[in-house]
Amino acid sequence: MSRRDGSAGQDVLRRVGDASVLILISLADGPKHGYVLIQDIKELVGVELGPGTLYGALDRLERLGLIEPLPAEDRRHPYRITAPGAAALRVHLDSLEQVSAAGRLRLQLGGI
Amino acid sequence: MHDPRMARLIEIVLRCYPARWQRRHGDEAGELAVLLVRDGTPAGSIALSYLAGAAREWLTPHPGWRLTTVACALLIAVCSLGVSAGLLGSAGTARAASTSQEHGHAHCRPGSPGSVPDVIRAVSRPPLIIREARHDRSC
Repeated sequence: MSRRDGSAGQDVLRRVGDASVLILISLADGPKHGYVLIQDIKELVGVELGPGTLYGALDRLERLGLIEPLPAEDRRHPYRITAPGAAALRVHLDSLEQVSAAGRLRLQLGGI
Repeated sequence: MHDPRMARLIEIVLRCYPARWQRRHGDEAGELAVLLVRDGTPAGSIALSYLAGAAREWLTPHPGWRLTTVACALLIAVCSLGVSAGLLGSAGTARAASTSQEHGHAHCRPGSPGSVPDVIRAVSRPPLIIREARHDRSC
């Protein structure tokens, strides 16, 4: 599943797991810290991320340069999505759309 | 957190993370656990999530790690296993010796102060914590 325009290369989010994608989607409209991320994702898709999963995904996304930490507010560390992170999210969502369209078409062809 | 035992459990689990992770996320992770418990998430489920996260953190190689660091960590793990196996073996031998002699020595008996089984019991504590945590819903 590669990007259609090819400018940003491969879908780097394909192998990072659902939690990372959900975090990027949540950060797409502004910086958030751990607790707000968990709440936002729960409201958005009904999935409650475990805190261990959350921190693992945040560290992975930061290592990939897709998010970056902002200065800490008390004990809370907010994160924001980076430009490469936003580009990677677009590529991933495009590929999901392709898969979705292909799946719907096959269902239609199959008459199911 | 209402239940001090659960608070202690989460505190212990957070200590399972590497020091680098604890310095970076430790305080926030503790506060996050308190907020999630307040919202109704079972503390056992939070502890289990952190425990799995700690295991992943130790098992995931990081870019800053040099090959020698990874090799040393593996060597220490193998040595620990070897020492544990040795202790188990010697405990078995000591037990066999104490049962074969009519007047066995007290210091070779299991359960005596400073004897080998105490050490093994201490080593086997983390799995007990895992079993306790499994009673709650996983995340």
